[in-house]
Amino acid sequence: MAQRFLILEDGSIYPGQGFGAGATTTGEIVFNTSMLGYQEIVTNQIYHNQIIVFSQPIVGSIGIAHDAYESILPTAKGMVVRDVTDISKNRQRSLSLDQFLKQHNIPGISGIDTRHLIRQINQTGTIKGSIVDVADDHAFDQLHATVLTNQQVAQVATPRPYPNPNQGYNVVVIDFGLKHGILRQLSKRDCNVTVLPWDASAQDVINLDPDGVLLSTGPGSPLDLPESVLDMIRTIQERIPLFAIGLGHELFALANGSEITKLKLSHQGANHPIRKIITNEIIYAMESEEYVVDPDTINRDRLITTYLDLIDGSIQGLRHRDYPAFSVQFFPDGAPGPNDSVDIFDEFIEIMGTRE
Amino acid sequence: MATEIQKILIIGGGPTEIGHETELDAACVQIIQALKKYGIRSLLIDNNPFSAALEDVQPANMFIQAVTADNVQRIIEKEHPDAILATVGGVTAISVIQELQENGVLADNEVQTLGIPADAMMDINNPDRLNDVMRNVGMPVIASETVGTLDEAINVANKIGYPVIVKPIAPRIDTNRMLCETEADMISAVSRGLSWSRFKQCVIEQSIVGYKEIELVSMRDTMGTQVLVAGLENIDPIGIHSGDSMVVTPTLTLSNAEYEALRDTAFAINNQFRFTGVVHTHFALRADGESFYVTKVTPYNDRGTSLAATATGYPIAYVAASLYLNQKLTDVHLPDIYHFKQTALLEPSLDHVVVRIPLWPFEDVTNADQHLGTVMKSVGSTIGVGRSAEEAILKALRSSQFSPQDELPSMSNLTDTQIISQLIHPLSNRILVLLEALRRGYQVDELNELTKIDPFYFVKFKHILDIEEDIRMHPMTIDALHEGRYYGFGDGMIARMWQTDIDQVRQLGRNNQISPTYKGIEPSAGELQDLPTAYYSTFELENESEQLSDKTILVLGRGGNQLGPNASADYFTTEMLKQLRKSGYQTVIMNTNPNAGSLTATLSDKQIIDPVQLGDIMNVIGIEHPVKIFVPGNRHYLTRELRRRDYSISILPPDQEKRSELLNDHANIGLDLFVAEDHIVPILASDLRSDQGIATTLDQITLMRTPATLTDQQLDKILAHAKEYLGAHKRTGMVQMLYTTNGKQAPQFAGVRPTRLTTIAYLNKVTGINWVRMLVRQALGELDEDLIAKWAVDIYSDRRSQVRGTFPFKQLQLPDQLGLTTQEVGARISFETF
Repeated sequence: MAQRFLILEDGSIYPGQGFGAGATTTGEIVFNTSMLGYQEIVTNQIYHNQIIVFSQPIVGSIGIAHDAYESILPTAKGMVVRDVTDISKNRQRSLSLDQFLKQHNIPGISGIDTRHLIRQINQTGTIKGSIVDVADDHAFDQLHATVLTNQQVAQVATPRPYPNPNQGYNVVVIDFGLKHGILRQLSKRDCNVTVLPWDASAQDVINLDPDGVLLSTGPGSPLDLPESVLDMIRTIQERIPLFAIGLGHELFALANGSEITKLKLSHQGANHPIRKIITNEIIYAMESEEYVVDPDTINRDRLITTYLDLIDGSIQGLRHRDYPAFSVQFFPDGAPGPNDSVDIFDEFIEIMGTRE
Repeated sequence: MATEIQKILIIGGGPTEIGHETELDAACVQIIQALKKYGIRSLLIDNNPFSAALEDVQPANMFIQAVTADNVQRIIEKEHPDAILATVGGVTAISVIQELQENGVLADNEVQTLGIPADAMMDINNPDRLNDVMRNVGMPVIASETVGTLDEAINVANKIGYPVIVKPIAPRIDTNRMLCETEADMISAVSRGLSWSRFKQCVIEQSIVGYKEIELVSMRDTMGTQVLVAGLENIDPIGIHSGDSMVVTPTLTLSNAEYEALRDTAFAINNQFRFTGVVHTHFALRADGESFYVTKVTPYNDRGTSLAATATGYPIAYVAASLYLNQKLTDVHLPDIYHFKQTALLEPSLDHVVVRIPLWPFEDVTNADQHLGTVMKSVGSTIGVGRSAEEAILKALRSSQFSPQDELPSMSNLTDTQIISQLIHPLSNRILVLLEALRRGYQVDELNELTKIDPFYFVKFKHILDIEEDIRMHPMTIDALHEGRYYGFGDGMIARMWQTDIDQVRQLGRNNQISPTYKGIEPSAGELQDLPTAYYSTFELENESEQLSDKTILVLGRGGNQLGPNASADYFTTEMLKQLRKSGYQTVIMNTNPNAGSLTATLSDKQIIDPVQLGDIMNVIGIEHPVKIFVPGNRHYLTRELRRRDYSISILPPDQEKRSELLNDHANIGLDLFVAEDHIVPILASDLRSDQGIATTLDQITLMRTPATLTDQQLDKILAHAKEYLGAHKRTGMVQMLYTTNGKQAPQFAGVRPTRLTTIAYLNKVTGINWVRMLVRQALGELDEDLIAKWAVDIYSDRRSQVRGTFPFKQLQLPDQLGLTTQEVGARISFETF
């Protein structure tokens, strides 16, 4: 493997070995402390524009599996790891992580002191970086000059509606860059799903006469999406049971008058205890938070906080006082991460069932 | 309810044996610490002279007795504890509690059991009942039936089909599954199993040999809140007892979906049985990940929980103690030294790899069958911690060898037939044979087929061999040194490959800034900024371990337990650490035994989990600049090499290098004394015997009994002789004067030797004076007249006591044989009638 470099905006240089694609890439550096599920993580569209630092000491050890895609066309900008193992376990013995990344033009760099890097990002906050062949002035100039798009949702969400037919409740999923775990959970519950593009109007949704609407996960800032999305949410929540996850949760909060703040440092991991306020139950779930709901701005006449992260105090869930509408910041579908909160999907089914 | 509990009777682990070593006592120490914080009085029953926990309870709360139902019952009836705790006593404690439950003693005395509810207690030690309960709640368990006779067994086995597994129900010893390929095997296993079972029953079940064995360690409070502390992956498949398997954490070859399914199942089981505290759940996973079974549930401390705690930095036993008192996981306050002090709820996420390699007793017990199978044979284990699998594997491997010189034995003399045979029927040198097979060109797929070990590990082993070759081909080059160190090769190994001196290798490293970087062992994977007290080394960018102080003492732990004085050495090390701290020093301990009490975070200021090898020690010295290095027991090679480099070393007990002066090769009276400058203080005179009577050689002396069978005149005579002798022959610390006598005859002087570590532990318990601490104070120059004057030792006391070595012969399926000191696995002490 050829020597390559991870360079950061603050001037730091980390030499390592390239794997995956040989492309030069630039993105926001985020780290994920999950111990498993490198494939689910790198294929999650929330990492569009981002270079993911893995704290798990080894990636690649189980290859690429057909049931671990969170999207078929991953858009992460890169992987930074301590160690990558080139193993293929699918039936054709033909797809290792290295090959997969090559196919999708995603570069990786290994042999990095990822622990140091994570501890450093902890100090500096979110920072841009590049994976390059030569760490010279030119590379740094390019890095500083790169402006990352804020049209992430438009780039990763489906441009056209598509169905996932089944016999159960009729659910419309609004795709902001959805992870497949959501579809898997709805499938398991026999939902007849139609996925609509992120800019679907309330009328588009209503025309399909859904029993429930799900606002999906997705990349980037909810503030970068147009007001029309919030209008759609406000219209829908009054009429149809609504469940929102991740970016969907942030949009749901915005639509109901709350403000969103960007964390100094995004948190990605599955090991924080989360309290379910109503039962005092503790659950664990994959959290990917870069933007969180500002607790001081919640309109308490409209929204109730339902889940809280006990380590960083962030709001992890909301429920509308008047409508059958609720949301979670974390990923209740696991993939990767614990299934402790997967019953939230059952709650959604139940709410659809009690409508009328 | 918590406020009602004021007094808890803790059942100790008893003597170390195959199946459990120091981990139970280490957990017990933490639990007593926690209970003390809650103002609870702990009573402890144990007859293990090497128990550090016994040092932590008041004499009035200490019951040095064998862990039997009768003894526990007597204590209950006399002391009326509010609760009884079996989770640090291994299977023996569980059996005892079961018995006291069945005969109504616990109910009659209103004693509640902590951690494991009464009904669950009946199920967990009985695989059949366990399977029934789990089948009823939809948990995946394998086909099995209970039998009470050989005829029944033959019928059931024919129905299930061979191979079958035989498990005794409620065994008296820690045993596991016995794999039987044929009816003859099965008959022999069932006969043994029936005799081990408290109910004369065995379970016959479908064989899952070759499945992947995964263990999860979780915590649960009485509210039902649960935390997953760690997943442990056995590198060896089912068919090799998990205690004899190489184990890695975190799991490296599981998908997220597989892992989460196991987690869900473990949590569901914990809820079903309403366990509180720590639970260790074993699973068998089909290689394709399509299905899995629950194979064992142990809701108490054991080697698995101990590995999980050491690998993650999560203080399992401490937290469990709080949970037993109905504290909620959300409210548990950890001691300040813990990284994640705000909560016991942070699920550990690791950015390092830990590999555990077992240690077997075959060097000392040469007539045992060395094949690994479903009955555990190892007596200890050692871990390697690294940032990569290669580094962790190599460090564990380096620590697992008998040679002190940081080298791996060569397997190149094995024939190909032997290699194949050993791949299929592994011996204790398994990993070396796997490496040798790869060296000879066996392919990953073939090896996976033959051994059922996941291909991932062969890819890693192969990489280790490639690096080794690379190092060998590029002597004294910077890149090769960096690569070697980065992946866990020791300086000693590299020096040998380059046919040079370790100092040359280190010089090359120093000149080129290839320096060790220590990384914290903590559960947030770098997300939280506070640093822990436990570290391991690697060779990366950032070093997190700075010099502690200018008054630091480095203590070299013994590493993994083997036979001989090892269990006592860890006790010795623990007491040493306590005294060094009391004397005002900061302490750094290096050790690799995940079960060691001496690695408990609260006992020292820093713990370094790295091979206790010359290069690694000098790396630590390079950062800490200790004023002194303390070595418990003797390590000839290491101490010689360190002294050669002008480091200040204190070996305790001292005078290890001074050879024993022996006039005779046998003796039957021992007189132990403490020698401090002008003071020669007799401690104890005792009869020295073998396990079976008269010891004809010194290494047969594995039993000491007091008072010695000497008349007062005879005793006076040897006292006078000893003082005169030691006055003339300079000795320091603790020595044992040896005499022979046959009845009325005047005792004959037979020689003098340093007091053994095992004996010192015994002397502590008999005299109530902690002699380890006295030795430490002596080495620090703190032993003065006043202190010595306070030692109230009555050499004429007629209090009866005995310490007796225990041996692993039964578990190794050897006929009863005369045990030697080098074959002791543990010891039991008694103040009762013998």
